[in-house]
Parts: sequence; C-alpha cells; structure tokens
Amino acid sequence: MTHDQPLPTLPGTIVAIRRHRRLRFLPIAIAAALVVSACTQSGGGATGGASGGGAGDYPNRAITIVVPFAAGGPTDTVTRLIAEPMGKGLGQQIVVQNVAGAGGTLAAGQVATAAADGYTVLMHHIGMSTAPSLYKDLAYKPLEDFATIGLVTEVPMTIIGAKDFEPTTLEELVAFVKEHGEDVTYANAGIGAASHLCGLLLQNAMDAKVTEVPYDGTGPAMTDLIGGQVDFMCDQTTNTTEQIKAGEVKAYAVTTPERNKALPDVPTAKEAGLEGLDVTVWHGLYVPTGTPEGVIQRLSDELKKALKDPTVVEKFGALGTVPVAEDQATPAAHREKLQSQIELWKPIIEEAGVSAG
Amino acid sequence: MSLHPRLRPALRDLLSGLVFLVLGLAFAIGATSYELGTPARMGPGAFPFVLGGLLTVFGATVIVKGFLAGDGEAIGPVPWRAIALILGGILFFGATVRGLGIVPSLFVAVFLSAFASQQTRVVAALAIATGLTVLCVLIFVVALQLRLPLLGPWLGG
Amino acid sequence: MDLLANLQLGFATALSLENLFYGFIGVLLGTMVGVLPGIGPTATIAMLLPITFNFPAVTALIMLAGIYYGAQYGGSTTAVLLNLPGESSSAVTAIDGHQMARKGRAGPALATAALGSFVAGTVGTLILALFAPPLARIALQFGPPEYFSLVVLGLIFSIALARGSAIKALAMIALGILFGTVGQDTYTATPRFTFDTRELYSGINFVSVAVGMFGIAEILRNLEDEKTRTVMVKAVGRLLLSREDLRRIVGPVLRGTALGSALGVLPGGGHILASFASYSFEKRMSKHPEEFGNGAIEGVAAPESANNAAAQTSFIPLLTLGLPAHPVMALMAGAIIIQGITPGPNVIVDQPALFWGLVVSMWIGNVMLVLLNLPLIGIWVKLLTIPYRILFPAIIAFASIGGLAINLNPYDVFAVAFFGVLGYFLVKLGAEPAPFLLGFVLGPLLEQHLRRAMIIAQGDPTIFVTRPISLTLLVLAAIALAVAVLPSIRRKREVVFQAEED
Repeated sequence: MTHDQPLPTLPGTIVAIRRHRRLRFLPIAIAAALVVSACTQSGGGATGGASGGGAGDYPNRAITIVVPFAAGGPTDTVTRLIAEPMGKGLGQQIVVQNVAGAGGTLAAGQVATAAADGYTVLMHHIGMSTAPSLYKDLAYKPLEDFATIGLVTEVPMTIIGAKDFEPTTLEELVAFVKEHGEDVTYANAGIGAASHLCGLLLQNAMDAKVTEVPYDGTGPAMTDLIGGQVDFMCDQTTNTTEQIKAGEVKAYAVTTPERNKALPDVPTAKEAGLEGLDVTVWHGLYVPTGTPEGVIQRLSDELKKALKDPTVVEKFGALGTVPVAEDQATPAAHREKLQSQIELWKPIIEEAGVSAG
Repeated sequence: MSLHPRLRPALRDLLSGLVFLVLGLAFAIGATSYELGTPARMGPGAFPFVLGGLLTVFGATVIVKGFLAGDGEAIGPVPWRAIALILGGILFFGATVRGLGIVPSLFVAVFLSAFASQQTRVVAALAIATGLTVLCVLIFVVALQLRLPLLGPWLGG
Repeated sequence: MDLLANLQLGFATALSLENLFYGFIGVLLGTMVGVLPGIGPTATIAMLLPITFNFPAVTALIMLAGIYYGAQYGGSTTAVLLNLPGESSSAVTAIDGHQMARKGRAGPALATAALGSFVAGTVGTLILALFAPPLARIALQFGPPEYFSLVVLGLIFSIALARGSAIKALAMIALGILFGTVGQDTYTATPRFTFDTRELYSGINFVSVAVGMFGIAEILRNLEDEKTRTVMVKAVGRLLLSREDLRRIVGPVLRGTALGSALGVLPGGGHILASFASYSFEKRMSKHPEEFGNGAIEGVAAPESANNAAAQTSFIPLLTLGLPAHPVMALMAGAIIIQGITPGPNVIVDQPALFWGLVVSMWIGNVMLVLLNLPLIGIWVKLLTIPYRILFPAIIAFASIGGLAINLNPYDVFAVAFFGVLGYFLVKLGAEPAPFLLGFVLGPLLEQHLRRAMIIAQGDPTIFVTRPISLTLLVLAAIALAVAVLPSIRRKREVVFQAEED
C-alpha cells in the first residue's frame, strides 16, 4: 500500500536531486542575505568617533550589553533602544545579550567576573539594589564588584485596582485595606519583581498587611487583575498605562513625586495622602570594577548623548517613561542611587521576611 | 507476534518500578527540606512532597505488578559505548563551548559522538565532524546570529 | 463594526509589497528554524527580534507572527522525521508521526500536518477576525480555580497518551511534574532541587527535556544493535495522501481545530493543552485505539490542527487586551512596544491597520505555508536517505546548539544529555516519554494555579466546586477517569500484542 509510487528512471532521478539540492540551499541563502542586510543596516553605518582621554583605542571591537531578563521585556526594550545610538556614537556595534535567570543575579554574576575592559556591560534595574538583601549567598557585591556608568531611566509605577474593586481613591483603598486586612488580595509578578517591592513599600506606608498573590511575571498578574480574580496591584506604567486609559483597571496613584504625563488625571501618592511611597524601576549601566576610568567616562558620555536622541525620547514615551536628566547619567549619581537604594530596601525586605535563598 | 512468556521474571517492570520508587523517594525526601506550609499558604515543599509520595506509590505498584504479572519482555542489549560517547560529547560541548568557542568545542563533541556508531572509523569521523562544524557555524552563527565566539577566550579568540 | 471595511483595510495592509515580502520571509524563516532540531519558536523569535527594529510596527508583527506559526509547521517536520520535537505541541505529533515515518509513510504524515495546520490556521484566523473581543471576555472568567480544574481534566484525559501500561504512564506524568518543579518557586523564590546551582534557578528548559527524551533517546535505541537491524525508515512510499487517508483525517482535523481554537484563547496555559487534549480525544473517539502510537494518521491530524488553531487564537488575549498568553506573545508585545505602540485594549480601535493587517496576513501566511510545505515534503523526506551514521551526529550537534541557544546556559545542554539517558532507559523499561513531557509542561501550571487558588480562597478548598466553570470541569474529569479505568483493565491484554514494535 505504501510502495505504489513507480521507481523513477535514472536521468529523472539526477534531475530531481539537482533540483532539490538547489532548493535545499535556497532558504539558507535567503536567510543569510537577510541577516547580512539587517546587520549592515544596524551596525555598518557607524563610523569611528573621537576616542576619549585615557581610553586608548577603545572601542575597537563590538561591545556586549548583557540584559539579565528575557528578550522583549521592559528592561530588554530600554537596552535595545539606547544600544543603537550608543553604538553609533562609539563607532562599534553593540550586541544585546539576554542572560535570564535567578532574578537577574545570574547575568550580574557573569558580568562581575568578566574582563574589565569595557567590552562587557551590564544593564540592570532596581533588582541590583535588592539582590543583596534577597539572596543570602550572592556571589558578587554590587558596590564593590561593579563600577557604575550612569542611570538610564526611572520608570514610574502606578497603584491600580480591579474594575469592580470597591475603593475608588487611594484614601478609600487605605481605609479599606485597614478594615479588611488579609481579605484583600494584592497581585505581584514574583518575588523580587518591581511589583513585589512596591507592594512591600505600600504595605509599610499603609501600615497594614494584605494577602500577596505571586504570579510568574506581569502578564498573568495583569490578566487576573482585569478578570477581577485579585483586588489590586502596583506595576510599571509600561504595563499599566494602556489598561488604565481603556478603563480595564482603575488607577489610584502614581508612585513618583510628580504626576505622569501620560496619565495627567492620576494623583501622586503624596497628593492622595500617602507619604513614603517613592518607588521607580530605575535602570543603570555597569561594568566590572577595574575598568579604566577613561573607558567608563567614554561610555557615560555616549549614554548621555544617547538619552538625548529624539527617537530614544519618543520611544521611552511609549514605555511611559523619560530618560533621566543629564546629571543623573553619570557614574557618581548612579553610584549614589545604588547605595541609597540598597540601604532603603534592606530593612524592608528583612522585615517582610522575604528570602530567595 | 510472540507468546507471552509469563514465567520469565518481569525484569522491565521491576527495574522501572525501582527507578520510580527511588526518584519518588528522593523528591519527597528532598521536599521536606523546604517549607510545607499550610493549605492557605502552601510552601515550596508541599507540592513536590505529595507528588514524590505519589510516584513512590506508583513505583511500588509497578514492582508488585511485575511480580504478579509482568510483561516479561527481555531488556535487550544496551549500547554502553554509544551512551558513553554521546553523553561525553554533549557534556564536553556544554562545558567548553563558552571557553573554547563553538568551532573546537563542537568539533570535538561531534567527533566523539560519531564514534558511537561502530561503523565509523577515524577518517570518517573527522570528515563528519568537519562538515557538521562548518554547517552549524553557517546556520547558527552566520545566519541566525547566535552570539558565540568561533574561538573562545581560552584560545585567545 | 463593519467587518467588510475592516477586512478591506486588513487586505490593503497585508497585501502591500513590503508586508507580503516580510510575511513570506517570516514563514520561510519560521519553517526553517522550526525544522532545525532543538530550536523552537521562542528561541528563534528572541534571536531574530532585533532584525525587526527598523521595520514599521505592522511589518514587524507580521514577520514575527509568521516566524511563530511557521515554526509550528516546521517543528512537526522534525518531530515526524527524526522524532525530535522542539515544542510541547510537536511532542504529541512525534508519537504517531514518527511511527508513520518508520513505516515509510513520512510523506502522508507531513502532508497531513500541512493540510491540518492549514485548515486549522484558516479557521483560527477567522475566529480571530470575527469573535476576538467577546472571546477574550469569556477567557477572563477563568481564574486560578478554573485553570487548576482544566489542567486536572487535561491530565486525566491524557492517560490515553500511553499505549502501554497505564500505571507506568501515571508514574511518568508524576515524574515529569516533579522535574517541572526544579528551579525557583514563584511564591517564595525558594530554589528547589537546584543543588545550589544558580544556572538551575529558572528551571529545566522544555527544549532540553524534549530533545533529550525523544531525540537522543531515539538515537541510543537505534544504536543498540546496528548490524542486525535497519536503523532508519523503510523506503519512502507515496508522498501525498490517498483518498482513504483524506477520509480518515477529516474528522480529527475538524475536532482538533475546534478544541485548539477554544483552548488557545485561554491565556493561563490553554494552548499547551491543545495538542495533548485533542490527541487523547481522538484516541478515545476512535474505533481502533490500538492503532494510536503505531502510526495512526489521526494521531498526526488532530494534534497538528489543534496546535495550529491554538497558535492563532492565542493572539486574541494580546491583541484585544494587551495580555500576552505565553512567552512568545510577550516577545511580540515587546516587539511592538519598541515600535512605540503599547499593546492594550485600545489597539483594535487605535491601530486598526495593525490588528486587521496582522489578522489577514496570518491567513495569507497560512496559504504561503501550505504552498511552501507541500513541495518541500519531497525534500525533507530525502533527508531520510542520509546515512544514519552521518545523520545522528548531526542531530546531536543541532540538539546541543539548540539547547545552548535558548539562554546561553550550559546547564540546558547538560540537561539534553541527562534526559537523553534517562529517557532511553525508561523507554527501554516500558515507560513512554509523552506522558512525562505532559507532566513536565502541565505540572508547573497545576501547582501554580492550585496554590494561587488556595491563597485567594484563604485555604478553603470548596472554591473548586463552588465556582460553576471549575465545577463543570471537575465533573468532566471525574467522568473521564471513570471511563478511563474501565477499558484500561480490558485493554491490558492487548498490550502484549503491541510490545514487539519498538
């Protein structure tokens, strides 16, 4: 039953094989051509820029920025957005490499032991400052093993609630939580995620405990919030702005000192009467300690320039954020931020008894 | 179609039951070192503990079944040489690819595993390893842009 | 809503030369990388994401979507020919598809996969166009208790995946679930069974498990006794489907499409269930369940259709609510965010060209895929004529690199070797890899939703029976269990007659 195809004649077979051979390589050839053209588009257009003092001939080859989270996430997006103008300024291609795992500590650990030559750069967010408190046996020390290059952006967060959740303002929310306590459910995107940290800070500020419901990432948490399975959460504007605008969730407050341009009607936590809730998902660039001063300065200068790039500004806008001010994109300001954040989170995380082992 | 040789010891059932039993116990015992928690707040140990227990029971059942009415089939030959070579090849690749770079690491891995076939001699293995290394570099590094050095830092690449 | 006007806009967008071209490139690349053993769509899209940054948003999305469903097509090719699935969905296809290939029916198996996928893709796209917003609303009714009950139903239903001993299948499911718990616990961040290895904190990768359990184990089995047996398939017979084949696959394709479309909409992991559930369903429905596992064409048609339908409808939560249903969708979301468009409930209204252009392009992409894949079958089948002693090192090389490509984590490569050997011995002892994989992918869902439901219910287990959808699913599960236990006693005798085959 299966052998009813007649045997092909010899010349026929040769022709068929030839045709197939050519066809077999065609897809690979097309793919190669496509990729090559994409490369020349993104990296090839750049020409050598002036080299900074003390940096020697840096950079003379491609630079890798390691992102400690999966491709497509907010941190990855921020990195790729600044990588392009920075690469142009440095006159070298910047390769973004995702090394996800262990709450970002896997990537940080790798970069900490990489060669301190400025060719391996780490992008990390607020998790850099919380990891020492969350992970007891961390293989690196953020302040000692890394040199800071500069802050990149501070993504604001918003406190949001399910559509049918009773409280309509932050004040009512606080009162409601104080009354109902652990009957109220708070969704977060997993231990150590920004939404988890914001929740800890929020409970501190409200002086009340809620039931925390951890999820595997923001997507599932938001799904259940919109579906009304949980009561409220706090997350980056990147994930919440569109949902707020569409009325799928209600917004109680933003967690920054100023209101957010994309959400002008949402009050700040302070305006709504809640002190001590200043939290953003801040991002910064790092290199291993021992990297030459000149190289760090060069990277910091290019970062500053990249943050002024109109495309970067525009696309950061879509993420619900803005580039940091110029004086923040410096090694000193970044180091100060890192230090103060490590000190801020240590007692909060310890008090909550959270540990990632 | 072969007759069912009921009298032969059901080695396959005994061994697989043993594997399940041992792994189930290992997971269940391992899980006790994590918090078990309460029904409202199940700890990280609860789920693996229950599942480990279940697997242990399943394993025991398979063993008992093996004594009562096993499938009685022979296990047949095990290609120990092939297992060692292929295992070695893959582990070598995983352990060295970042240090040696993809070209030497993959070459050695393929060369080793090619010998898993007893019909393959040195020259053929060399040819297979060379050809596959070139092909993989073309596909993964050139076309798909996988970020791996051709020659790694251990070789100064 | 003026559907015609919208579709017109969609066609105008999707048929622009640029979008047509990149759509084609997408499905072509998708097919190719899907064919590469070990490289699934997630790794592919992650690797190719940067290429799309210079494209307009709709073009980027069209191309990435093309890679995604193209890879679903391509993945089944490798599953059938080499028993090497790169995705949970094609693991099911491998069960009967590879048996067909060994019997010289690789051509019909691949043709079935292509045609089933095309029908499913068309229907899935149509559902996306017609009912996306209301379906997304229904999906939101599913909370943790509902998902838990759904997964329980899926697991019980899928005992049918095994062709041999039911108790061994149960044990394999449990073992798969246990290996799925490796890594950091979501709820407490406690690292479980990681032996203090940070590389294991994010768990064991599915690709490593599937490639090891199926691909490497198969190689070892083939190398058992090279001299006395032909390791590869018999001469390849006819390439296309006979009238009889066509008649047999119509039902499975349609049922698989329906089941897959429904499950794909659920963002909490429904798409994962699609292929497993439809396979089990067909086996239950069939008058010849004993053929399943030995090369039943229905066993290829149903899961392939279900999987492709689910691939299309799993876009619904993302496009209508901005909620990514799985990692691939999260990548897509990232790709359009970088274009300056944040996916959310307003995308359909604010960006009609994006939504309708993508929907129409998916259908066009499915047409391209079937036109591309039917002629390619002849070539893929020729792959089987490569001498096995060259083919198996190639599989090992691809599998190793595929494991590495996911996260550049060497432990993903080590896992390929580990599960290869474990899989080989377990199969040799009469336990099958498919239930293991099912447990491995569904286990984390089961635990997550169980614990989450219990947290929300504050420890009250009645939550599973007081919510109507959850209760319905559990009742179905109880019925399925009852039905499964009765014939499995009777079927035990038949097992003997199947044992000679591998």
